Amino acid sequence: MRGRRFFLLVLLLVIAAAVMLAAVGIGAVMIPLREVAGIIWNALRGSISPSPLPAETIILQVRLPRILLGFFIGASLSVAGTAFQGLLQNPLADPYTIGVSSGAALGATAAMLFFPKAASTFTIPLAAFAGALLALFTVYRLGSVGGRLPVVTVLLAGVVVSSFLSAAISLGMLLAREQMRNIFFWLAGGLGQKGWPLLLFIIPYFAAGLAVLLYLSRDLNLILLGEEDALSLGVEVEQTKRWILVAASLITAGAVSVSGMIGFVGLIVPHAMRILIGPDHRYLYPAALLGGGIFLVAADTFARTVIAPAEIPVGIITAFLGAPFFIYLLRRHREKYRF
Amino acid sequence: MGLQIEVKDLIFGYGGETVLDGISLTIGQGDFIGIIGPNGSGKSTFLKNLAAILTPAAGEIIIDGKALPRWRRRELARRLALVGQGAAAGFNFTVEEMVAMGRYPHVQRFGSFKPTDHRAVERAMHLTGCYHLRERGIFSLSGGERQRVLLARALAQETPCLLLDEPTSFLDLGYQVELLELLRSLNQRERITVVMVMHDLNLASRYCRKLFLLYGGRIHACGDPEEVLTREHILEVYRTEVLIEPHPLDGKPQVIPVSTAQAGPNQNFQQRIHIIGGGGSASPLMKELFARGFSLSAGVLSVGDSDWATARRLGLTMVEEAPFYPISPQRHRQNLELIEKAGAVVLAPVYIGPGNLPNVEAALFALQRKRPLIVIDAAGVAGRDFTGGQGAALYRRLEEGGALFLPRPDADAVIEALFSASSGQ
Repeated sequence: MRGRRFFLLVLLLVIAAAVMLAAVGIGAVMIPLREVAGIIWNALRGSISPSPLPAETIILQVRLPRILLGFFIGASLSVAGTAFQGLLQNPLADPYTIGVSSGAALGATAAMLFFPKAASTFTIPLAAFAGALLALFTVYRLGSVGGRLPVVTVLLAGVVVSSFLSAAISLGMLLAREQMRNIFFWLAGGLGQKGWPLLLFIIPYFAAGLAVLLYLSRDLNLILLGEEDALSLGVEVEQTKRWILVAASLITAGAVSVSGMIGFVGLIVPHAMRILIGPDHRYLYPAALLGGGIFLVAADTFARTVIAPAEIPVGIITAFLGAPFFIYLLRRHREKYRF
Repeated sequence: MGLQIEVKDLIFGYGGETVLDGISLTIGQGDFIGIIGPNGSGKSTFLKNLAAILTPAAGEIIIDGKALPRWRRRELARRLALVGQGAAAGFNFTVEEMVAMGRYPHVQRFGSFKPTDHRAVERAMHLTGCYHLRERGIFSLSGGERQRVLLARALAQETPCLLLDEPTSFLDLGYQVELLELLRSLNQRERITVVMVMHDLNLASRYCRKLFLLYGGRIHACGDPEEVLTREHILEVYRTEVLIEPHPLDGKPQVIPVSTAQAGPNQNFQQRIHIIGGGGSASPLMKELFARGFSLSAGVLSVGDSDWATARRLGLTMVEEAPFYPISPQRHRQNLELIEKAGAVVLAPVYIGPGNLPNVEAALFALQRKRPLIVIDAAGVAGRDFTGGQGAALYRRLEEGGALFLPRPDADAVIEALFSASSGQ
């Protein structure tokens, strides 16, 4: 069992590397794998040629940041989804369930609506992140009862906040006619034209959140047995739930602020990984990280090449690829898999 | 390893409703305690307070001299293990993973399992008979198997005290006994303290050395099973008429319910019926009338006689005579006193000898005092009269005096006769 899980993680790591390398080569300009590897190797060594070749520019300035960003966004959504499904003990939970993402969307919408001049690829994520934190704070306050954080009230508070914010976004779009297209595109989610700075923007949240989740992975396993069982086994249940909620929300906030709402990754990849590697979160988180990254990089590569030079919003691709794949997994493992 | 739990004036409520209303008790190392009581009496709530899952509104729980709120959970989990009712859904962990979670309080966060941890997990699985299930997912297990896995997890915790919330509720008879035998052997060999909430009074009586009977959030009775499981206590708490019988092997009190539909005083005939019998002649009728809620008395019966045993089991008021002795004038008088206060008298088809002739005279006395008398007599008195005709003569006088003769000890016929006699009065 242990050996099998370890093997699967290594396998996922190899697949992740292969998919990213391949994705760097694929595009309007096809670049052979050997050249890709060479350029990345040189860049890693710090030797950047004074007059870069076109391929070098394409790879280092356009494709590599996009692919790495895609990997981290996919990993973020998938890890956060895993945590929310466990925390809320609900198979339908995903990073968007408790309204943090709606907060981010409203922040972004507000920025485009009220400060269309200042709105840029960098200020919109900041506004989105602020909105996400505000939504998290609201859900947290609404959901806690007498110092405790009952799963059901958190879920309800999340759903309520989420629908309230969605209504506000719709109103905003209606009011801002000339911005409506921009807002729509932002909401649909995408990874294009982001570059290195935004990648650096989300990595701290991702790293910190992931560290907290991994630290508490064993405790979450026990909470899944039932909160009373967890208490009697020595888990500080309320404290653990609080930290997991905040950590998973921060990861979500970072991802959504940068890339908008990319659906299905945070719902489906955790389930797929659970089928593959079992419910133990000490292994499930790393698997979800790699699985989510692989999935989104692959989907994004497809999104930017299939009708090139135009792009399909990657959220559409994830839904198109994700749903059938998930149904396949579910049917194959119907007997053994139960949430 | 010595463990001491002290509970002082524990009060707990859900919302405004008080569930535990001032419970105080002490549990020492090596105790085997059963907590019994009707539904809603606060048994499970009490256990959850002990396990620090619920926080009392007032009062204290002190474990090893330290009040419960001052314990760190992980440390507490090395002293107390709880076996809950196992309703949690969760994810599909394997049995072995599940049992291994019992080591949580012993293993450092990122530490790995040491040989002692592996040994504890394996031993727990062997003891509870779920080693062969270790690769299976818990969702594929039956309710009973899952309950054993929960016990295994608690055993893997290696605590000096086990708290169990109805550990036998999903188990079949064989596994119930097996689990309780396991707890008993752990208790005796390793002096592990066992505190369990039990619904089954008879199993609780056989395995627990001390019982606490909870009722309305208070301790209604406590002590060894003989002190707690009495007919009166059960009637007060469960509102059910029962018989208490010693277990044939170990003599522990066993509770035998009398059908609840028929328990309580019979509404149609509330006066006491006095039964004259002996040699087993009255037993079927006594049982039948008792089950239908009639108030009964009996006399005079010889100690050790089978009718005497029945009357005693049913807890009837009766007049007893030493075995193999004729009925003494004193006992006879006592019998007449009972008859005088009774609403009706039944004379069973007893064998009549010189020793128990006064019993037939007592029946005649009933007639003289205008008590309805029912005489059960199938084949005539001649065949069971060993007094040279004295008994038969008395029977003739009974017949002349207006006794109602019934051919069989049929309860329905007796009851019908009683009603007609009492309404005729």
